[in-house]
Amino acid sequence: MIDTPDLIARLSTHAPPVRRLSSPMLLAGSWLLLAVIGLALLGVERGLRDDLAAQLGTGAFAIAVGASTATAVLACIGCLIASLPDRSRAWLWLPVPAMLLWFSTIGYGCLTDWISLSSGGVQPGEAARCFATVLLVSLPLSLALFALLRHAARLRPARVTMTAGLAVAGMTSTALSLFHQLDATIMVLIWNIGVAIVIVTIDAAIGRRVLGWLNPPLP
Amino acid sequence: MTGPASQQNAGPLVHPDEWSALMARAQDGDAHAYRRLLTAITPYLRAISGRAHRNPSDAEDSVQDILLTVHAVRHTYDPTRPFKPWLAGIAQHRVGDRLRRRARMSAREVSLALEHEAFAAPDNQEADRAFDQRGLHIALQTLPKGQLLAVTMTKLREMSLHDAAAETGVSVGALKVATHRGMQALRRLLVREKDER
Repeated sequence: MIDTPDLIARLSTHAPPVRRLSSPMLLAGSWLLLAVIGLALLGVERGLRDDLAAQLGTGAFAIAVGASTATAVLACIGCLIASLPDRSRAWLWLPVPAMLLWFSTIGYGCLTDWISLSSGGVQPGEAARCFATVLLVSLPLSLALFALLRHAARLRPARVTMTAGLAVAGMTSTALSLFHQLDATIMVLIWNIGVAIVIVTIDAAIGRRVLGWLNPPLP
Repeated sequence: MTGPASQQNAGPLVHPDEWSALMARAQDGDAHAYRRLLTAITPYLRAISGRAHRNPSDAEDSVQDILLTVHAVRHTYDPTRPFKPWLAGIAQHRVGDRLRRRARMSAREVSLALEHEAFAAPDNQEADRAFDQRGLHIALQTLPKGQLLAVTMTKLREMSLHDAAAETGVSVGALKVATHRGMQALRRLLVREKDER
């Protein structure tokens, strides 16, 4: 390594003006706006599920959708705040209560609708459409959130990207609930918790590398 | 690695209360303010790093890691908030990273004692080293020009790929490939020479 005074001289001569990072709440607002626009476009293209009004009347469905959306919102805010060097990493716990509620409502739904297991499950065509929805929602939202978090590459990337993955998983689950009729409870479990685990795992695994790509090399 | 030298060209001593204002000016592109700030925070960083590392070289490497990170994420500082917690947050991460890396390395490494030396007599070692150096010099001359340049800069002069690329005008990727091929060729040549000996 070079001498520290030389390093300081080199850094100070390669220091163009920088655009200050917006406040985490503003960044979270932009990401959520992007998510709302994405879901709205998907809704226009595919249409909402036929029984949405009836489902929203049932407490468990409304709580599940509300909890997955709240998980997405709180995880997004938590990871953006915790990505800053002077903020506590305790912010990463912000989405945990909503996440527990979300998972518990899925479990409750399974218990109350257990009988529907015999209904034959989701047809292959519907499963493929579900998968397409997962990709259409999670890919752009993951990339957008990683772009907002690129400064975290040099600080605490693993936990931040995991929480970012939870935000994307929550929003994807909300999209699935709004656009797809998943009557078989086992499929609800697979699509909700399974997709959440897969997205969080993939985002945590590749997040660090993606954040590295998004950062310019040092002088 | 020198403390007092770092005060050169940095102007008068800066009070920590001024760090926030200096960083705000640095974010706007004021190179002089930025240099004053980096020079002023270095003793503070040395104190943090010195408490964590027993080895002075590790401590100074940590200080440089912190300075590089400060540079990379300087846009994340909000001038309406205090500067010291922001800096301390970065310092904590970098020092922790180096401690973890050091712990991983020492778990894999075994330090050699004198009895592990193949030849305890200094004369033999000197002769062997001179022979090795001569062999290496001859092997180096057989490399193509591009590989010789890459190996000399990145391995013998221990320059980073970015620095070597900046000095030679060759891309980082091309330098990396040339270094790799050069090292492979050297290894082959030196092994052959050793077998012949």
